[in-house]
Amino acid sequence: MSAIDVRGLEREFKGSIKAVDGIDLNIAEGEVYGFLGPNGAGKTTTVRMLVTLLRPTGGTALVAGYNVATEPAKVRRRIGVALQDAALDLLMTGRELIELQATLHAIPRASVRARGQDLIERVGLSKAQDRRVGTYSGGMRRRLDLAMALIHEPQVLFLDEPTTGLDPVSRMTLWDEVRRLKNDGTTVFLTTQYLEEADQLADRVGIISAGKIVAEGTPASLKAQVGDPRLDIGLLDDADAVPAEAVLARFGPLLEPLKPGRLLISVPDGAAEIAPIVRALDEAGIGVANLDLLEPTLDDVFVEKTGRHLEGAEGEQDA
Amino acid sequence: MPAVADMRVISALIRRAMNEIARVPAAAIPGVLAPTIIIAGLASVFSKAAELPGYEAPNFLSYIIAVGFLQGAGFTGAATGVNLARDIEQGWFDRLLLAPVPRLVILAGIVGSAALRALLPASFLLLVGEIFGAAWPGFAEILVMVPIVCGYAAIAACWGAIIALRFKTQQAAPLMQIGMFAATLLTTAYAPFVLLTPWLEEIARLNPVTYILEGVRQGFVGDVTWATTWPAFVALFGLLAIFGGLALRSMRRTGLS
Repeated sequence: MSAIDVRGLEREFKGSIKAVDGIDLNIAEGEVYGFLGPNGAGKTTTVRMLVTLLRPTGGTALVAGYNVATEPAKVRRRIGVALQDAALDLLMTGRELIELQATLHAIPRASVRARGQDLIERVGLSKAQDRRVGTYSGGMRRRLDLAMALIHEPQVLFLDEPTTGLDPVSRMTLWDEVRRLKNDGTTVFLTTQYLEEADQLADRVGIISAGKIVAEGTPASLKAQVGDPRLDIGLLDDADAVPAEAVLARFGPLLEPLKPGRLLISVPDGAAEIAPIVRALDEAGIGVANLDLLEPTLDDVFVEKTGRHLEGAEGEQDA
Repeated sequence: MPAVADMRVISALIRRAMNEIARVPAAAIPGVLAPTIIIAGLASVFSKAAELPGYEAPNFLSYIIAVGFLQGAGFTGAATGVNLARDIEQGWFDRLLLAPVPRLVILAGIVGSAALRALLPASFLLLVGEIFGAAWPGFAEILVMVPIVCGYAAIAACWGAIIALRFKTQQAAPLMQIGMFAATLLTTAYAPFVLLTPWLEEIARLNPVTYILEGVRQGFVGDVTWATTWPAFVALFGLLAIFGGLALRSMRRTGLS
């Protein structure tokens, strides 16, 4: 049985605005599925439909085997959700919130404390559990939100941009937890704007743009679709550009350079081609200042499929 | 045992609302002080009004103190609506909607908290009223008054919830407050039937809040009687059924549009 099975899912808002336009998804049990797309692409609307917060206007969606439109209570019992903005009561302590969440999910009173304590320790909030959430950092709030989403041991976990705005350490902590959940067999539906996050965590990735799925597959297979690695070369002396182009032409077609004064060449065999190219340039008396091997990214996939960049993708690459 | 689980959820939601009063007491002060200040001011300015025929009260404060109880309950209910709008804005309400509990249970938790919180302004007003000369209604009469005041706060909370769920913003707060203010104003709040202008008397006789008000008032102006008590409870349960039903409908429709 699929953990999530979506056929022709649609959501139209007033004014005939189709935020989600007939998407299909089939996500296996235990899979981590990365759902990528820029702001306004339809990611959050899709998640809100799958978690029963928004009624679809077309198509069907089964989550954990139950229809989100006709059996929402059964779906809610089997899913955990950490939405984009960690919705927490800042006046309550972490422990109080965990216990309230346990009560909302009808966990027997006798096991609420133990299960809550276990999760608090798991997300590293033991020392802060009796502090008001208003004093927590953004990363701590995210981790508490994740713990709350896990209190009833859901079959399917929805994480809507869980690391947006987090510092690198908090991001890594959340990534480790997602990996652990995958090892435990939990299905994870992860929406993100961060390509690296999808690359690191997802078994498969779906890219949504303007309400439609424009690409789907493993990160490796998607990147393989968009072309070969490229070598970006900076010369010591700009006057060597013309002879350098002649040398590089022996290795493959020259591409439009990314920045003025640099050279770009396609290298289908990746890193293995670097040494011969550098040797050939050296033998021709051309000095190389620096070079970068540019592997295809999920952003390249996005550009290929939609003609646009994902927000934040350039910054992420720079980082 | 679903019923036990549902009761635990209602209790947890009420505790959360009470927690807010305990941790930010300043937030509760306006709702507690406002009815008392209004009633104290009116009783001072219009103290001679009680000498007019029809009032049949020991003094004007004893006559209008019931208005303060309903105002306090109305403010509390409206504040519950504002808090719900805040929870919607901040995403907390999504957490409640994602819980596998019936919407009625969530509504009961929200409305129940308003009913309980209404005891705070009512207790303060009763204390201040007694200090300044309101008639003492007696403990048995207070036992009749308390459920009426709590029930009225629940009606106000349902009204607030309807507005909050419709507009999904705290900016709709004036609508929540004005509804309860108008409902109380168009009654025998400040003058008995015989002293009202004919059109207002007509409205007051049709307005169920009049009977709720008289149910609260009776202990302060005379004896508690069955003839005044049962219309108060009929009006209370009727309004609670109507506004509770509409609030539940709004809650169930959340996410459809």
